[in-house]
Amino acid sequence: MPEDARHSDRTGEFESRTECLENIRLFVSHEAAAFGFDAEDIGKIVLAVDEACTNIIKHAYRNRPDGRIHVRVSSEENRGRKGFVVTILDTGLPFDAAHYRPPRRLDYIRKPRRGGLGIILMKKLMDEVEYSAAPGAPNEIRLVKYLRTHAQAHRS
Amino acid sequence: MSLKKKSIGDVVVLTPKGSLIGDEETSAIQKTVKELIAEGTRKVVLDLAEITWVNSAGLGAMISALTSMNKAGGDLRLANVTDKIRSLFLITQLFKVFKTFDSIAEAAASFQSDPPAGVPPLE
Repeated sequence: MPEDARHSDRTGEFESRTECLENIRLFVSHEAAAFGFDAEDIGKIVLAVDEACTNIIKHAYRNRPDGRIHVRVSSEENRGRKGFVVTILDTGLPFDAAHYRPPRRLDYIRKPRRGGLGIILMKKLMDEVEYSAAPGAPNEIRLVKYLRTHAQAHRS
Repeated sequence: MSLKKKSIGDVVVLTPKGSLIGDEETSAIQKTVKELIAEGTRKVVLDLAEITWVNSAGLGAMISALTSMNKAGGDLRLANVTDKIRSLFLITQLFKVFKTFDSIAEAAASFQSDPPAGVPPLE
């Protein structure tokens, strides 16, 4: 186990450094595989979590390396579907999801921006993406991916 | 990330190796493309065969490099797009923006049959 990650009960605590992203990816990849996802879905989940944590490092902690990122993995049942839930907590600056305007694809050709594509990716890669922030509480991003049934996997 | 550079005629091939994920990695590509433009290069192939991981910052760097080259009247085309990157391109619809090829040779040859427009891009 790397020194910058301490796992217990499927929770990892990581430092707010980009060098820690690889360990976050490994942690989530291992958990997603154990949950039953195939390689394609594992790749999607890992990338979504990577994007969320990158945003936390860059925007919530503004590249300060002394912040903490908690990544918790759990499961839930929703209308008969088995969901893999990744909850990411930080204590940096909150993300104002309510006032965020996602970029349009053509905006990237006219005026390339950094970061905006990450949120588009997260929403496309996962089934649910929720942000929450309240005074005195950690910022929380909740990412959910449902296991596909055999029939769904076969169709795709 | 390391970045190799070679020439095939008047086409420059850039081969990044490793992860294309953040400021340091991505700025190397953008800096190199700007240097190439200053030197007069207008045909660039970005070979993705040795990229092991790419995130939105990496995609942003590719878009930025393409935009810089388009503004200079040139083009940046992609070779050896892996399945993982192709999947990201489908999700983000960036396959509509980049010209992609299965090999460096095909990408380089495309500049003969389909040369860059040489006009300023959308503004």
